[in-house]
Amino acid sequence: MNLFRSEEHVDRWLGSRSPGAMLPVTTLNALARGWWGDRLDPGWTPHSREQNQAVLEGLGLVGGFWQLG
Amino acid sequence: MDPADVSLRNTTYGMFVALGRAPSAEEVAASTGSTAVDVLAGWRRLHDGHALVLDAEGTEIRMANPFSAVPTAYRVLAHGRWWYANCAWDAFGICAALDTDGQVRASCPDCGEPLAITVQGQHLDQPSLVFHCLVPAQRWWDDIAFT
Repeated sequence: MNLFRSEEHVDRWLGSRSPGAMLPVTTLNALARGWWGDRLDPGWTPHSREQNQAVLEGLGLVGGFWQLG
Repeated sequence: MDPADVSLRNTTYGMFVALGRAPSAEEVAASTGSTAVDVLAGWRRLHDGHALVLDAEGTEIRMANPFSAVPTAYRVLAHGRWWYANCAWDAFGICAALDTDGQVRASCPDCGEPLAITVQGQHLDQPSLVFHCLVPAQRWWDDIAFT
């Protein structure tokens, strides 16, 4: 899970490997807030898979690649 | 997840932030009135439940996601302290978890160019950067260090 200067840099870095998923860093920041925002809450409880999937879907991250196991 | 293990996890995370590093099992045991053996047993259950990640020996914390206990290519200045993140996602997650603005430092894996991003809430001063996730979500925990 890496950060690149642009899509061109991702493509060059991948070479012959199959690409994964690309997001604007602004979407990543929003995803990080939804995913990690409560991790230090004193009353934190584990997220269910459904909760985590909803965080992804809320940002339009849908389809097989984003389907949690 | 057992409530006692959730409590152990929350204590461990709180100590990580207070200390600025991963606590040892002995430190957590002293804080909770437990024993290091019991803490390690709880950590192993939390590891199996993907609530934290232990090192290969199973005796020290490797990740208290989004925080990394070991140096990585992703550094974050937040709350007046530098932290290591496990990946780009976690770098922004550290600002989110600490509920604060911050600075993310990394380098482009392709060209090595340094990347410096200022995070101010939802605003980023380098919005043209791109995040790439190589591993599909179903396989993230197959090898979380690689992911």
